[in-house]
Order: sequence, then structure tokens, then C-alpha cells
Amino acid sequence: MAVYASNPFRVFWSSAVVAKNALFAWLNPAMWITQLFFISLFQMAFFVYLATFVQNPQVSVAYVAVGNALQSVAYVSIYAVCNITGEEKQQGTLQNILVSPASRFSIFVGRAMFQIVNGMATVVIAFFYAAVLFQVDFSRTDFLALAATILVTTFAMTGFGLMLSSLGLYLRTSMIIANIFLFLGLLLCGVNFPISYLPPFLQPISYIIPMTYGTEAARMAVTGSTLSGIALILTVEAVVGFIAVLIGYAMMVRFERIAREKGSMERF
Amino acid sequence: MPRVRALYASFKHQAWHFFADPQWLIPNIIAPFIVTMVVLLLFQDVTGEVVLYAVLGGGMMGMWGNTLYASGWSIQSDRWWGTIDGVFAAPTHIIWVIAGRSLWSALIGVLNGLLVLVIAVTVFQVPLELNQPLTFLLAYIATLLSLACLGLIFSAAFVLTRSAQVLTNGLEFPIYVGTGSMFPIALLPLWSAPLSLSLAPTWGIDAMRYAALTDYTWGLPTGYWGDMAIMGLLSLVYLGLAIWLFIIVDRVSRRDASLGRA
Repeated sequence: MAVYASNPFRVFWSSAVVAKNALFAWLNPAMWITQLFFISLFQMAFFVYLATFVQNPQVSVAYVAVGNALQSVAYVSIYAVCNITGEEKQQGTLQNILVSPASRFSIFVGRAMFQIVNGMATVVIAFFYAAVLFQVDFSRTDFLALAATILVTTFAMTGFGLMLSSLGLYLRTSMIIANIFLFLGLLLCGVNFPISYLPPFLQPISYIIPMTYGTEAARMAVTGSTLSGIALILTVEAVVGFIAVLIGYAMMVRFERIAREKGSMERF
Repeated sequence: MPRVRALYASFKHQAWHFFADPQWLIPNIIAPFIVTMVVLLLFQDVTGEVVLYAVLGGGMMGMWGNTLYASGWSIQSDRWWGTIDGVFAAPTHIIWVIAGRSLWSALIGVLNGLLVLVIAVTVFQVPLELNQPLTFLLAYIATLLSLACLGLIFSAAFVLTRSAQVLTNGLEFPIYVGTGSMFPIALLPLWSAPLSLSLAPTWGIDAMRYAALTDYTWGLPTGYWGDMAIMGLLSLVYLGLAIWLFIIVDRVSRRDASLGRA
């Protein structure tokens, strides 16, 4: 047992498997599929119809549809991942996890792994809606570049979600943070309008969220940029996501200590 | 009288919960507030009354966000806290307990919607010059009550599922789209018109626009009072449906012993 717990890769893998099994034990598959197919559709539809109504020449239907298609990953990578610690708390399992000798990092990263698959599926479905329902033209799209954008954005945003999740160790619920960042993405990440529309003091904040790079790369890929053309943007996005994971780990250690000191581990 | 006492006790209980943990206002207001900001930024080159679409829609979204979270989370929270069996086992029917909670949420919903309006006016300098303030206020409150009635239906459904949280998140945007909260429903595909028109808040937001705008060209042909009458009728239908659903849900959940499944 001790050998098992001291092997971070085994802990990571078992955590990922348990997370997947737990998801389907808790959420029936029909509900999961409904969520997968519908959650991105209505958000995209809302902003597409809004763009149609506003008729801002800089914000076309394609601009909004592509931005929202990629941003739909946030429902999984921000909302689901951020709630990992909160859900453990609500189920009464957080203390057991924290007293085990297994690496926290392996446990929580493992827990997020299935959400990467889930997130990529959500984005692919959202792009399908953009093409079929909202007539976005994909005839010039470099699909390899678009696939790479989806992959990197999903990983980077999951890292960002893990960073936010660490707050759940201390707060009564991480859902508040998840909600704030889920919707802040719509405002700050160039999903529905260019970053230049934002007040100057908000623009730097956009660039610490990986999604900002993702939306830019996705639009470039849709209009024909090759993988080499967006490589720099994706590299920066991956780096930002990796830094988020490192900061998240440091925060997790810190918040765990505070929660132990204040006895707030079971507060929800 | 015991029912009214239960209603009042539930209202008071929900209020204490809110004051004990006011952070719940954040998710209720954050989505409508941010979406309103996004819309106002999109409208930045547009002037005139059309900008009021964003502000009025933001207010309505604030109310719906609050109603939806209240209906979804009140059941889910009971599950987590282990109090749901006690609530159902009480001699007063569950509908009176939920109604008390919904009334408190409706009250917070009014403040929530108003806060969105105030922020839009003060931060974004949107001129909120209402054409007919009193009829606007009437439509605003009636829309909130219609949203509360719609929320009651969802509350009943949430009792039967462990996925209330998932459904709560997923039901926010469909109502924003279906009711045309920020744009005229004429932009939606024709096949979706029956769905939109079956939602009471669709008529509510239309009535609010009739009252607020001097030149409202996208309005439904029923006009302000027609909108109000249809909204009232639909709200009564929702209420009847919610009561019927709660009776069924009460029976099914007792039979299947599924209440405590967190």
C-alpha cells in the first residue's frame, strides 16, 4: 500500500480512473450526453443572435461562433475541474484524501484528466454546431492547426481550473470562483469581441488566461493559418497553462495548511 | 393557517440561510452582470434606445439567474445537509416549503435585477429614461413572479434527480435565448416560436420594452396589456403544473426511497 501511494504515476492513474468511474456512478450517461451536446449550443446561440441584432461590423457571426465554440471548454475545464475539491468536501472524502500519504498533485491532476477528454469532446461538438447551425465557413480551415488549438487550450484551461480548484480547500465552496471565472472568460478572453474593446486596465488580465491565446489561434486556424503560423501563440498558451498548474500546486499546499490550522476543512 | 405558517417559516429560514452565507448572491449575479457588460461592449457604437435592450435584458437575466439557482440549490443543499427527508416527512406539503423559499429568492431577485440596472446606468452611463415608469415597474414585478412560477416547475423536477446542479447550469442560457432577453425573438428560427411564446418571461420582457421604450418596433402584436394578460395566464398554468408535479414527485420519491441520494 505504502509503495503504491509513493508512486506518483500509479496514484495519478488510479485517481483518473476513479474520477471517470465516479462521474458515471453519480451522473447517469444520458444526463452526461445531454450536457455534452446542449451546454455549448445555447451559449453560442445567445451570442450569435445577439451579434446578428447588434450588427457590429467588427464582430461577425463567425467571430462569435468560433470564440464561443472554443470557450465551451470552460464549462468543463473551469467548472468541473474547479469543483473537484468542493465535491470532495461535500461528499465527506476530502479529509481522507488529505491524510493519505499519496501525492496531492498526482491525485488532483489525475482527477482532472477525464475532464480533458470531456472538454475536447465538448469543443468538437461546439465547432460542429458553428458549421451546421450557424453556417460558419470552414472551407479554408487548417484542421490540424485547429485540432492542436483545441488540444493545447483544453490542457491549458484544465491547468487553470486546477489552480482555481486549490481555493476550494479553504473556501466554503469553490463553485463561486468557478462561476466567476467561467463568465469572466466571456468578457476578458476575446470570445465575443476583440480585446481592444476592453478598458485598458483590463487588457493585461486577458493575457494571463490561456483562453485568450486559444480564441486567437482558433480564429487564425479557421481562416487558414497553418500549424507553424500559430505555433508561437500555442506555445505561449501552453506555458501560461503550465505556470497556472505550478501556481495552483503552491496554492494548494498553502491553502491546505490554512484549512488545517483553522479547522475549516469540512466547512461547506 | 398551518400552511401559511409553514410558508412564513420557510421564507424566514431561507432568509437566515442567505444572511449566514451571502456569497450565494455572487453566482446569481455574476452571469447576468458579466453578460450585460459583454453586450454593452458590443453595443458601444450603437446609440439610442436600442441600448436599453441590454439593460432590460440584464435585469431579467439577473432575476432568472437567482430563481434558477434558488430552485436548483435549495433541493441539492437539503440533500447534502441530510435534511431533505425531514422536509418531506413534515406534515405540511413540500410545495409550501419550496414556495416560502421561492418568495425569498423572488425578493432577492428584484434586488439582483435592480443591481444590474444600477450598474449599467452608473458604470456604463447608459441613460435609463423609462417612457412609462409605473407600467414598467408593474411589468418588472410580474415578470419576476412568472420566473418564480417557472422556477417552481424546475424545483419539482430537481427533487427526482441527483443532477440538479448540472441542470441548473444548463438551464441558464436556454431561457436567455428562448425568451429573447437581449434581442427580438423574431431573429430566432420560425420553428422555435411556439417554444418562445410558451415561456411567460418572453411576454414579460416584451411588456417591459413596451413600457420602457418610446419607439418599440420589434414588439409582439399583443401590446403591453396583452403581454401582461398572457404572462399572467401562463404563470397560473405554471403554478398549477408545479403543484401537480410536486404531488407526483412526493409520491414517487417516497416510493423509490430516492430522496437522500446525494
